[in-house]
Amino acid sequence: MATRRSALSALVSATVLAAPLALAGCTAGSTAMVGAGPSTLAVGLTAEPQNFDFTTTDGAAIPQALLYNVYETLVKVDSDGEITAGLAESWDVSDDRTVYDFHLREATFSNGEPFTASDVKFSIERVQQDWTISLKSGMDVVERVEVVGDHHARVVLRRPSNSWLRAMTTRIGAMFDPAGVADLANDPVGTGPYDVASRRRGDSVVLTRNAEYSTPENPRPRPGYRTVVLKYYADATALNNALLSGGIDVISGVTAPDSVPQFEADNRFRVLQGTTNGEVVLAYNNRRAPLDDVRVRKALTYAIDRKALLEAAWGGRGKLIGSMVPPTDPWFEDLSGAYPYDPDRARRLLREAGHESLRLDLRVANLPYAVSSAQVIASHLKKVGVTVDIEPLDFPAVWLQQVFTDADYDMSIVQHVEPQDITTFGDPGFYWGYDSDRVQRLLTEADTAPPREYIADMRKVARTLSDAAAANWLFLFPNIVVAKKEVRGLHANQVSESFDLTGLRRQGTS
Amino acid sequence: MRGNLVVGAALVGLVVVTALVSLLWTPLDPQAVDASVRLLGPTPEHLLGTDKFGRDVFSQLMVGAQTTLYVGIIAVGLAAAVGVPLGVLAAMGPRWLGELVMRTSDLVLAFPALLLAIMLAAVYGASTLTAMIAIGVATVPAFARVARAGTLQVLSREYTLAARAGGRSRWWIAWRHVLPNISGMVVVQASVSFAMAVLAEAALSFLGFGTAPPTPSWGRMLQESQELLAVDARLALVPGLAIAAVVLGFNLLGDGLRDRFDPRLEARR
Repeated sequence: MATRRSALSALVSATVLAAPLALAGCTAGSTAMVGAGPSTLAVGLTAEPQNFDFTTTDGAAIPQALLYNVYETLVKVDSDGEITAGLAESWDVSDDRTVYDFHLREATFSNGEPFTASDVKFSIERVQQDWTISLKSGMDVVERVEVVGDHHARVVLRRPSNSWLRAMTTRIGAMFDPAGVADLANDPVGTGPYDVASRRRGDSVVLTRNAEYSTPENPRPRPGYRTVVLKYYADATALNNALLSGGIDVISGVTAPDSVPQFEADNRFRVLQGTTNGEVVLAYNNRRAPLDDVRVRKALTYAIDRKALLEAAWGGRGKLIGSMVPPTDPWFEDLSGAYPYDPDRARRLLREAGHESLRLDLRVANLPYAVSSAQVIASHLKKVGVTVDIEPLDFPAVWLQQVFTDADYDMSIVQHVEPQDITTFGDPGFYWGYDSDRVQRLLTEADTAPPREYIADMRKVARTLSDAAAANWLFLFPNIVVAKKEVRGLHANQVSESFDLTGLRRQGTS
Repeated sequence: MRGNLVVGAALVGLVVVTALVSLLWTPLDPQAVDASVRLLGPTPEHLLGTDKFGRDVFSQLMVGAQTTLYVGIIAVGLAAAVGVPLGVLAAMGPRWLGELVMRTSDLVLAFPALLLAIMLAAVYGASTLTAMIAIGVATVPAFARVARAGTLQVLSREYTLAARAGGRSRWWIAWRHVLPNISGMVVVQASVSFAMAVLAEAALSFLGFGTAPPTPSWGRMLQESQELLAVDARLALVPGLAIAAVVLGFNLLGDGLRDRFDPRLEARR
């Protein structure tokens, strides 16, 4: 059940992409009154946080705004997917890989309290005891936390786990102060470079420098902007227009790919395109006939030209991956060539399976990328004798109920954004309906295996899934950042849960 | 105004002919996706260019006319089939029944058609059928009102009084006198409602609650062109103008027909 719940949160966080469609047309202007100046940065985003408490509220919007910026973690993940130092300057792992010793740096919470090893113990135990979001299960493997010294915390795991340290780079690794958790929904207290100054519902969140972040006794490099305004636009076109008209300096992620050329052609702006963790997946219902037949699944996979699909549905922006693994995961292997476009072969396989003609429903999330992809798929499958009935379902509510919970579908399309969501194929109750002892065994072995074998095992999982055509990984959702030229320090890839402001600065300043 | 009638009939006729032709022939398959020809401008092969999927816009526009008319005919037909008998009944039946029908229709009238359609789509899934039913239900009161008002007028005429005096039954009067005499008003209402139904279908498809892809629909063509406005406004202009032309056509036709049929205007002729 735990896996199932956590996958649900992945889908919920995909509402970041739902928002522009749901509210298309109602163009809300953004009116935050903040003195614009060289030390102020305005960032345009799509999904607004409902409150500031990610310990009890699911979704991607809160960590996007607060993680690394307001709350810091012991370890961070950089834009290449590497785990790097955060509040822990360094860490040692015991030979049996169950004991982690974290050596902490000097830091102070925005309420003036110093950050110490007892805060590490408090924060980790609080995840286990008080958090309610499904992602808290990432902390289940922790047996206890010991305070060895003021700046030395020791975490003991029940068993070796390759995924735990990586999970510590996400929101569950955020460090809290016992005196700062009274009103998490409105008043977050962290050690990060920014503090929440104000918030206008439906419009913006203003972050200002945390005075305690860097002091003469404990200097730390500060981010370049004194004030950052996070402005929220539900509509993709409104977001684009805000940048064009100078209302904002950065678009955190463009969701209208065909609008990108207008920015590329404009020398005021710079466009960065990188990867995300979001695999856009054509799910096959592995439990339901005729898709329980591997020949049918393979036939459909051969019959869809993913390169043409990416071009037509998403302007060619994105990356063909061929597996449930984003390129920033260490075990990534490009499997996009496993099923080259081959309609003849598809027809042959369908004939072998006894399906000269076939009618399948395609119940997709009512989101731009999904509905666009569905139309291309219907057109491609028609050529091999498969009739596709497209049913766009309201996302998230109706889609979650019909497809995700009830698994009442033949094929579906949604983007899975949670890190390491390949593990969902190890849960036979997941809506894929994929039940393979080999994959389940490999996944369990992989998590406890020594790091070298971990990577090999995870590759085996990805290949096994590809061989079984357990799903059709259409493409990796692109991260498209557009910014005014003078904004420096942006990264192309979106790997962490945070829109990391810490490295941003204005050109010409240090 | 005779001009209204002629222009309206011409616009409507154009759409009807387009839809009929598209049943048999379109220049290209409107649903065939081809990434190699996406976002082309007008060419001899693609008269109105191609959309972001590389589909032929002209062929889509032609088949979209089918969807538009289909939705209009069914929705308006449904509304008239339910609304007219209700209106006649409200005028001729017992007083309490008339009140009940008219107050219920006020209630339905107060409920936005789009909201009803979105609720239906949420429960039964977005499809042309749910859109037609929602638009039809929402249009029932308009027909009920017109039919009731017309019936009351007819009932006060000498020939109905004579029929009554002659001992004819209510149903005979309704059939022989009322229906033929209000039919003109109903046709006028149908034409005006048709224009509204076309707009409503376009709005629903634009919002993603109407005709499901890949069946071409003018509303969805508009929606798919929204993010491309800055890149290629033609994609929004083509379906937008088509919708405008049909709505204008049916409204003008309705006006023209009213001038001919509406008994309330007879005195002014």
